[in-house]
Parts: sequence; C-alpha cells; structure tokens
Amino acid sequence: MSEESLAGLAAGIRARRISPVEAVERCLARIRRSDSRLRAFIRLDEEGALGTARALEADAAAGRWRGPLHGVPLGFKDLCHLPGLPTSCGTRSHEYFVSAQECSAARRLLDAGAISLGKLNMTELAMGAFGDNAHHGDVVNPWVAGHAAGGSSSGSAAGVAAGFFAGALGSDTGGSIRLPAGCCGVVGLKPTYGRVSRAGAMVLSWSMDHLGPLAWTARDAALMLKVMAGRDPADATASRRAVPDYAAGIESGVAGVRIGLPENYFFEGVDEEMAAAVRQAARQLEDLGARVSEIRVPDPSAMTDVAMLITRAEASTVHARVLREGPQDLQPMVRARLETGFGIPAYDYLQALRLRAKLTRAFVREVFAEVDVLLTPVIPEPAPALAPLKAAAVDEFNARAGRFSRLTRPFNGLGLPALSVPCGFGAAGLPLGFQVVGRPFDEAILLRLGHTYQEAAGWHRRRPPLD
Amino acid sequence: MAESRQQQVELASMAGIIERLAGELGLGEEPACFIAALESEEDAPRDE
Repeated sequence: MSEESLAGLAAGIRARRISPVEAVERCLARIRRSDSRLRAFIRLDEEGALGTARALEADAAAGRWRGPLHGVPLGFKDLCHLPGLPTSCGTRSHEYFVSAQECSAARRLLDAGAISLGKLNMTELAMGAFGDNAHHGDVVNPWVAGHAAGGSSSGSAAGVAAGFFAGALGSDTGGSIRLPAGCCGVVGLKPTYGRVSRAGAMVLSWSMDHLGPLAWTARDAALMLKVMAGRDPADATASRRAVPDYAAGIESGVAGVRIGLPENYFFEGVDEEMAAAVRQAARQLEDLGARVSEIRVPDPSAMTDVAMLITRAEASTVHARVLREGPQDLQPMVRARLETGFGIPAYDYLQALRLRAKLTRAFVREVFAEVDVLLTPVIPEPAPALAPLKAAAVDEFNARAGRFSRLTRPFNGLGLPALSVPCGFGAAGLPLGFQVVGRPFDEAILLRLGHTYQEAAGWHRRRPPLD
Repeated sequence: MAESRQQQVELASMAGIIERLAGELGLGEEPACFIAALESEEDAPRDE
C-alpha cells in the first residue's frame, strides 16, 4: 500500500516508517505549493495541526495509540463545528454557524487519532454543484485548470486529489460528496440516511443531509466510515444498527454480485465518453466475476422532484434569517433558490414527505429483488469549464446545476448508500466516474466492489499534475 | 418576498408534481414510514 493513501499512511505511522509530524509537514508542503491556485482551504490550521502531530508523536513513542487513524492528516468541510475554529459554511461571514454541539463525525475521526489540517472550501450554504464561491474563491479542478471541482464539498475533493490530506469529511444533500468526487477523480461515499450522525454540522435539509468520507480509495473510505458511523444521542436520526468492519471483507472480490445497469433515466442525456467509461467499468467487473444485467428501475424523476421540493422548503426554513436580514450577502443563485422555498405550501411539503416513504419502499422492493447493486454514471459529463458557467444568468445557472445533480439526487431522497468511484479520464484529461448504489445499510458491498474495481483498473495510481 | 417569473414557474411545476403523485397515497402513509423502509431488515444487529 502506498503511503499516499490513508490506509498506507496509517500503516506507515504504526510501523514507525513515518512520524505524524512528517506526515503533516508533507501535506503542508503540498498545500503551500498549490493551494493558492486550488483554493481548497477556507482556514488552514497549520499551528494546530503541528501541535497535535507533536502530541501524537510523543504518544506513539510511549506506545500509546489513539486509534486506527493515529497521526493521519484530514480536512473538514467548513460546515462542521469544531471548537476553536470558526465555521463559515461558505458564506461571507466567517462565523455563520455557531453551535454548542461539536460535529460528532469529526470528533470521532479526531478521537481515532486523526489530525485536523483545517476547514475546507465549499459552495455557499452547501447549495451548488460546481464548487464556485464568490466569497472564498472558486475551488479549481486539480486535473485541468479552469474546470469545476464540483460541489458542494469542493475543497474536500480537490484537496484529497491534490494530496493536501489523506481524507476529508464532506456533506451530501443532493450529491455534494459524489459530484466533486466524480469531478476530481477521488472516491466519495454518501452513506445510508442515518448511518452517520449529522450532529454539529450545518443543516441544509434535515431530511436529505448526509455526512460521509472522501478519499483516494474505497479502502480509505471504509476506514473512515467505520470510525464515523454509529448511534449518537445528539442526532435522533442516527441508526442504532451495529457498525460493521467495512475493511475486513474488502478483499473478498465481487464473484456472484448482481450488478444492475439501469435501462431508464441514468444514461439518458449523458455524455458519450462518460457513458462508455461506465459501461466499460461494468464489463471489467463482469470479468472479475460479477453478474451484470440491464434493469428497468422505478422512475427516479419522481423522487428527484420530491427531494428537490423537500430540500428547498427545509433550506429556506433553516436559513430564513440570512435571507431576510442580509440577502445582499448571498450569491444571487443561492438567494434565488432560498427565495423559491418560501413559496412552497405546507400541503405540498408534507405530501412530498409522505411520497418519499412510498417511493422508497417501492424502489427498494423492486430493484433489490433483482440485483444487489445499481451501477450508473455519477456526473452526466466531465467537470465543465467554470467561466462560461458563471457567465450564465441565475436561472440558467441553477437549471444547469439541477441537471448536473440529476443522477445523484434520487439517492438522497431514497436514503440509499451510494459510492462514487473514478473510472478513467476523458480526452480533455478530466476524470470520469461511476456511482454504485446498494440496499439500505449495505455500504460494505459498495466499498468491496469499489476496492475490487480500483485494484484491477488502477486509475487511483494517477495523481494530478500540480507542479 | 416577491417571486420572480422563473420562481413562479418552478413553484407551479412542483405543485403540479405533488398533485399528480399524491393522489395514490394511502391513508396510513406518513413521513416516518421512510425510516421504517430503511430499517426494515429484521435480522440486522443493533448496537445497544
């Protein structure tokens, strides 16, 4: 295992081949070299990271190991409340989100020995698919300059791709982990709704929000998820289910796994290069022993619409104050979306919540009677160029963002686990990617499939040309 | 807060979608059924 990966780095630290201070300094050197261009950080905590690394180094020397992530540098999307650091949520105000509750998922990672390098850039209020931010600078795609990093966890994905940290925490309300992971060529996992506590993270839509890991490999994501997941008295939606050791069975291959390629919706309007790469990945998995078949799924457009309506209504409710007291501080596209939410009648919102339950039951029953996982493109096209996007009118920009997230949003509504995995590069040098979707709480099969594919395909061994 | 023409179109579209889909909902359907749909596997171990 390469020490560039989270798993390799954790093993290297445990074997004393590299110290926590060396690991942090290695990351800081990359950040100093490239972050003025990529803009992955909103707040780099150099001093805090080095201080923690020294303490962990002393612990290691004394034989005291905090946990499986001892000495591993991580980054945190700037909507997680961590004591001592302000939380901007991508807004103009550096202290937009103040909370008495520390982010539980981040705390679990830190308690397992991880080191926080700081808070990561994101689209304003986590509303946006492309990673642009007028207040903190647009996060730039590390593979091809001038192209989107994807959003809203833009700094998380770009920073992982650039080797600024070994893994990152992101949030996903309509695709905000998987879209930037797809754009930046890294792995991103949206777990099942309820698998990871959201306590201490900014709410965008309490019905649709998920926290999850971004990393270079599925194995790395498995290690992070094992630490982050589990019940939490501070979040009533956190499941009481036991948390499996996701890395334990990750080497057992995909023989006999039934993979469904959707006939409807998920390949419609998708860029040819992207669709071909995803189908090629399915063939590779078939060669590795999986059983691939075409499947017709219950129309995801209904869930896309329902999820969008719920998100708009809840987001406007949560962020009403900034919209009323400081609308001029918000980017026009964010303001427009929030304003729409005020016009949604309670009747429509509550019917949408009732519909969500019905649509989820039907989808799970019909799809997973036939296959174990679905495999689809995760983004409809390689990361688009940012300048023409930003030149568009507000309505056109938001319509484009809606189209860009149409493959991921249904699974926020359905609450199903979905893993974004890189599967090659297009002619322009931008990453291509698929998402694999499983039964509720079956993250293990997704991580195993992702790992098996990555080991065979080897795309994760490429790094972006930053120097 | 005044809605733009585009926002009015979007709201009307959302209302239309709900109108079309909600007619088939049973009386027992309520939002918490969503969590039940995810948690319904009977043999899943609990971390208690």
